[in-house]
Amino acid sequence: MNKIEIKQDLSQIKLTETVGNIYADDAKMSIRHANVFYGKKQAIDNVSLDLAKNQVTALIGPSGCGKSTFLRCLNRMNDTIDMCRVTGQFMLDTQDIHAKSLDPVLLRARVGMVFQKPNPFPKSIYDNVAYGPRIHGLTNSKTELDEIVETSLQKAGLFNEVKDRLNDSGTGLSGGQQQRLCIARTIAVSPEVILMDEPASALDPIATAIIEELIDELKEKYTIAIVTHSMQQAARVSQHTAYFHMGKLVEMGKTEYIFTRPSHKLTENYITGRFG
Amino acid sequence: MTNSTDNSPETSAEKNSKVNTNMSAKDNSARVSTTLSTTSSTTEMVALSLKKRHQKERRFKSVGLFSVFFGFMLVIVLIGDITSKALPAFHQYWVKLDINYNSNWLGVDENLTGLELTKQLKKANYRKVLKNSIYPVFTEEPGKKLARKEKRQLFKLFSTNAEFTIKDSLLSSPENLQQTVSIWVRLDDDVDSYLKEDFATGQAGLRISKKQAQWLAKLDSEQRIETRFNISFFTSSDSREPELAGIKGALMGTLLTMFVTILVSFPLGVAGALYLEEFAPKNKITDLIEININNLAAVPSIVFGLLGLAVIINVFGLPRSAPLVGGIVLTLMTLPTIIIASRAAIKAVPPSLREAATGLGASKMQVTFSHVLPQAMPGIITGAIISVAQALGETAPLLMIGMVAFIVDVPTSIVDSATVLPVQIFLWADSPERAFLAKTSAAILVLLTLLLIINLSATMLRSKFEKK
Repeated sequence: MNKIEIKQDLSQIKLTETVGNIYADDAKMSIRHANVFYGKKQAIDNVSLDLAKNQVTALIGPSGCGKSTFLRCLNRMNDTIDMCRVTGQFMLDTQDIHAKSLDPVLLRARVGMVFQKPNPFPKSIYDNVAYGPRIHGLTNSKTELDEIVETSLQKAGLFNEVKDRLNDSGTGLSGGQQQRLCIARTIAVSPEVILMDEPASALDPIATAIIEELIDELKEKYTIAIVTHSMQQAARVSQHTAYFHMGKLVEMGKTEYIFTRPSHKLTENYITGRFG
Repeated sequence: MTNSTDNSPETSAEKNSKVNTNMSAKDNSARVSTTLSTTSSTTEMVALSLKKRHQKERRFKSVGLFSVFFGFMLVIVLIGDITSKALPAFHQYWVKLDINYNSNWLGVDENLTGLELTKQLKKANYRKVLKNSIYPVFTEEPGKKLARKEKRQLFKLFSTNAEFTIKDSLLSSPENLQQTVSIWVRLDDDVDSYLKEDFATGQAGLRISKKQAQWLAKLDSEQRIETRFNISFFTSSDSREPELAGIKGALMGTLLTMFVTILVSFPLGVAGALYLEEFAPKNKITDLIEININNLAAVPSIVFGLLGLAVIINVFGLPRSAPLVGGIVLTLMTLPTIIIASRAAIKAVPPSLREAATGLGASKMQVTFSHVLPQAMPGIITGAIISVAQALGETAPLLMIGMVAFIVDVPTSIVDSATVLPVQIFLWADSPERAFLAKTSAAILVLLTLLLIINLSATMLRSKFEKK
C-alpha cells in the first residue's frame, strides 16, 4: 500500500465539519479521523489534516481546544498519560505511527518536539545537545559528536553565543537561549518532523523574533507543526493554518486565506479578536 | 528559566513605583485630588487593619522564635548533661606497684633461657607475684602479717586485669626475672569511682572500706596514683569489669549492621520507588501496595525483630546475634521509609524533564536513570539517611534476634556474633556496677557522634548531587 492509494482511500470520507482544504500536495504526515479521549472526556473529535512537507503548519485556537493534545499525538507523547486513549489513522509517510509494532522510541527519533516551557536538562550545554545522538548511538567517535553538536547549535543560531562555554550548565542560559538550545537538541537527532508547542510563549519579543526567524530557516530541511496563541506569529511563520475549536478542526487552509478570507464564522471571530 | 521568572515580579514592582511617583508629581490637578479623597478613606481603613496584621505577624514570630529556642535549649541541656556524666569515663586511675618477679612465686626455673623460659613464663603464677609484692608494703608493723580479710580487701583494690599487665610486662622483657620492677596497673572500678568522687573527703566511700581508703591515701601520698586517658574504652570490647569495658565491639557491630542495612535497603528501596512511580500501572493493586507500604512504616519495630527471629533465623538458618541478620531486620524497618521518601523525591522531579527526554526518543529506562534519578537523588539520600539514623538507634528488633548477648570479641565479619551501640548502652545502663553509669553516657556520646558524622556526610553527598 503506497502513499497515493492511502490518500485516495481517505479522500472518500466526507468531512462535514471542517471547511477549507485539509489536503496537502506533498504530505509528510496525514492524519485521518483522530479522536483522543482523556478518560470519558473527548479532547479531539474526528480531526483529519495533512502536514505539508518542508512547510510550516500552524495550529491555532482558543485555550483548551485540543491543539496541543493533537500535536502530542503526532509523536505519541500521549502514550505516557495512562488514561489517554487515541483512535484514528496517523501516517508518517507510509508508516502508521500508532501501529503496535512501531516502537515509540523510533518514532520520536523521526518526529522531534520542542515544548512550551524551555526545558533544557540540568547538564552542560554540550551534553544537552549530545544527549539525543548519544542515546540513539548515532556517532562512533568524539569528533563526530563534536561536529553534530556544533552544527546543531549553529542551525539553532546559538553557537556564536555559547561556543566559549559549552561546558556551562544549560539552565544558566536566558529563556530565549534555552529555547534555542532545546531546538538544537531536537535537531541534533536529525528528525524529519519537528513539533513545536507554543515555543515562544514564554519569551520576550526579541527572543520570539529570533525563534520565528529560526523556524523559517528550519523548514528548508524539516516539516514543522507549530501550536501558537499568537495570530501574528502564525501569520508570519506558517504556510498552512488549522483552526481548532472545542476539539474539532473548524477550518484549515493556506495561511494567507485563513487570515484574509476565513470561510467559517468561528474562524473569523477568532482571528478578528472577537473570540478567544 | 527560573531567573527570568524571579525577575519579573521585581520589574513590575519597579514599574508600579514609577507610576506612583508620576502621580504624586501631578498632585495639584483637580481630577487626581478627587480620586485621592476617595482613596484616603481606603488608606485609613488599610492603615487601621495594618496595625492588627503586624501584631499578628509579631505574635507568630515570637511563638516561632520561642519554639526554636525551646528546642535548642533542650538539645543543649541533653548534650550538656550527657557530656558531664560521660566525662569520668574518659579517664581512669592507675597505680604504680613494685613487682618482685621472684621465680619461686612464679614457679619458673630461673636457669632456663629462650623458648623454654617463655613457655614457662606464659603459664606462671602471676597472681601470687602480685599478692606477695603488695602485702608487705601495707603491713603496718614489720614482721606482722595482714589478716585474711585485710588481704582480700587489699587485693580487691586492683583490677582483675592487673595480673595480666604484669604478665605482659615480664613477657616483653624476660630479663626482669628476679628483679623488682615498678609497673603501672589499673585500679578496680569501685576504687576508680571512689577516687573520682569521694576521695577528697578522706572518708570511706561507696563499696570502699575505711581501711581501703587509708591504703589509697598512702598510695596517693607516695605519688603512686595517677589518672590517664582511658584509651581502652575505645580499643577493647565489653567486659564484666567496668574498668576494662570498651565500646569497640559494639561500635564495630553497629558499623557492620549499618553496612548491611544500607547495602540492602538503599538499592531495594530506590528500585521499588522508581518502579512504583515510573513503571507500574496506576491501578487498584498498586494502590493496595502503596497503602501497605505506608502502613509498614508505622509498624512497631519489635514486630520486625519477631519476623527476623521466626523467618530469617529459624527458617533460613542464618546465625543469631549476627550483623547480617540485624542488618536484614533493620532493612525491613527502614525500607518503607526509604520508599516513601524516594517516591516523594521522584514525584518532585519536574515532568518537563521527562517530556524533554521522552520527546528526544529516550526509552523509559534512559529517562529514568539519566534524568529522573539524578534529579531525585538529593531527596532520596536525605530520606535514606533519616531512616538509617533511625535504624542506628534501634534496639528492640535486635533484642529479638539475639544481638543483646554479652560478646567480648570484636566482630570482624557480618556473620560474627555482635552487639550494637544502643544495645550496649541498654546493657550497661542495666548493670549494677557504679562505674557503668559514666560508661553508659560515654557510649551515648559516641552514638551521637556517629549520628553527626552520618548526617554530615549525607549533607556533603547531597550538595555534591545538587551541584550536578
